[in-house]
Amino acid sequence: MKKTLITLLVFYTSISFSQGNCLLYPEGSNERKACRLAQTTSELKQGSRESQIRFDSIIKLNPNYAWAYFEKSVAYLKRGLVIEGFKLLNKAVELDARSHLTYRAYWYFQNRNYKMCINDLERYYALPKAYMFELTPGGEKDMRIILGLSYAKIGQFYKGIDAITNCINSYDSEDDIGFTDYHSLGVLYVLNEQYDLAIEALKKQLLINKDISDTYYYLGLAYKGKGNVNEANIWFNDALLKFKDPYRFVNINAGFRVYESDILKEINN
Amino acid sequence: MKWQNLILCIVFFSLIFVSCNTNDKSKQKYLADIGDTIFNPSLDDAKFKFCDSSNVLHKRAYVKYTGGTKILENDIISQYKIKPEYRTFNGYFIVRFAVNCNDETGRFRWEVVNADFEETTPPKGLEKHIIDILKGLNKWNHPFYNKKDYDGYTYIIVKIENGNIVRS
Repeated sequence: MKKTLITLLVFYTSISFSQGNCLLYPEGSNERKACRLAQTTSELKQGSRESQIRFDSIIKLNPNYAWAYFEKSVAYLKRGLVIEGFKLLNKAVELDARSHLTYRAYWYFQNRNYKMCINDLERYYALPKAYMFELTPGGEKDMRIILGLSYAKIGQFYKGIDAITNCINSYDSEDDIGFTDYHSLGVLYVLNEQYDLAIEALKKQLLINKDISDTYYYLGLAYKGKGNVNEANIWFNDALLKFKDPYRFVNINAGFRVYESDILKEINN
Repeated sequence: MKWQNLILCIVFFSLIFVSCNTNDKSKQKYLADIGDTIFNPSLDDAKFKFCDSSNVLHKRAYVKYTGGTKILENDIISQYKIKPEYRTFNGYFIVRFAVNCNDETGRFRWEVVNADFEETTPPKGLEKHIIDILKGLNKWNHPFYNKKDYDGYTYIIVKIENGNIVRS
């Protein structure tokens, strides 16, 4: 099942991030020309003058080509030119919301604008043809986990817990669960002071991927919250050990990151 | 003969002019790379120099702050002094700059957006205060990439709610 899902996801990603089927446009039309020209852009360096000029030619041929605006926005957003980046991406969303809303949501998350991230994702999942299993551009998290973390960032923990629980429950098999899903759920339970549920989720995380040092830290916080200081200290020390492991798993887009100083502060308390 | 020469000259030069013009249009619109920042004497310190201006990396992940994000945020917040007139401000400063191979910073440029990510004008004093703090940070490390030292561009997002800097 996992293999099928991964194959499907890979396939889906390549469809949603590609230029589309050029044969859908009438022969000789500017749309078909723009589409053909779009197929040549991957040879150009992202953010280079040549690539930007190529995108402009594509947009000139077909001003309604959402993909071209989206693709042109990437270098701006990656380099902190948010005004131009979002202007382009907004145009892509305006033309084709289903294909580009989650990407815009991702960039709002990156820029720590959680309210606008939530707006985009709520709008996306309400679309009749929304694809439930949409991932971050890096592919490390389901976008519903990003939605859950965003709710938590603005203090709506119950909504966040719901979003992540629903995401996990939507998988056909345990094998499909992401490498950080239960961790994210456990963190939200800790923040919401539901310590027993937090411990349950974080221990499930250890069965799937035991290499995030933050998982041990949050287990420590959960036991500390329950008043079990001795047990908490064991987990905090494990967190420190894992933190010093050069092969530990780095949880990208964690939303709530733990630093060595946070762990040390708990140990020395 | 003189007339012919003159006409030929006019045709010749106008051809050059026209062709130069079309070339310039697309070239002027974009720099070699999105985010390249050219020296501007009215904004930039002339003492800041790239070690190799032809190859400044646009790889943010390779420009690191000693101690990481948490220390970076501590260093910014500990210098920040809020004033009553800043309290109405909600938004983001997205500040781009370069770190040269000697770990010096320069070429600061920034965009300011409100809570809805629309371009906005912050209180004057606040803008100067934030940028001065960022210009004063001296724990940056230049990119070490593929076993070589580089100059590199990076950026910081300073999120502000009711005049207070929000940690990530």
